[in-house]
Amino acid sequence: MGAALITVSTDTEFVHLAWKRDEKELAEVKYLMGADPTGNLSRMFGVYDPSSGLALRGTFIISPDGTLFNSEVNFYNMGRNIDELMRKFKANIYLSRKASEGCPSKWKDEGDKTLRPGPEMVGRVHEALNE
Amino acid sequence: MTDPVTELKVGQQVPDFELTAYNPVAHNFEKVHFADLKAAGKWTILFFYPADFTFV
Repeated sequence: MGAALITVSTDTEFVHLAWKRDEKELAEVKYLMGADPTGNLSRMFGVYDPSSGLALRGTFIISPDGTLFNSEVNFYNMGRNIDELMRKFKANIYLSRKASEGCPSKWKDEGDKTLRPGPEMVGRVHEALNE
Repeated sequence: MTDPVTELKVGQQVPDFELTAYNPVAHNFEKVHFADLKAAGKWTILFFYPADFTFV
């Protein structure tokens, strides 16, 4: 989909290699595993936890022109779901082309209903969603 | 300790960055330049997590 998925932790690239090699859950991994041992990139995105020296579970979606489209941080022990991520990613791609529309909560993929915010929708979101 | 770049919010431009990555397909280490990803017309998804050898 023309996207670069990069995972990032404060581990070094050498530890990434060792983890990928040893953990069977990672057997199919093809994405780049980024090393941020200084924590500088984690700080840039506000996910550096100085008490542990580790990065929080942040997910950031950035458009090709460098605009931050989605910013999200999960609680420490909250795993992420690829379907949730893909829904947001697809919606961001769509909205980058159709800035005047809005993707409602149930939007999942291209072709699903979108909203066009304007005076006629004020107090009529229910009707707009169900027309 | 306030660092202005930690205030990165949606809608803002992400400053250029680079980092070293392990590429499991090529099985090598490589430099990733954000500017190169943008020049290639790619979306970038950054997926931070606390540590290797834990769940993600």
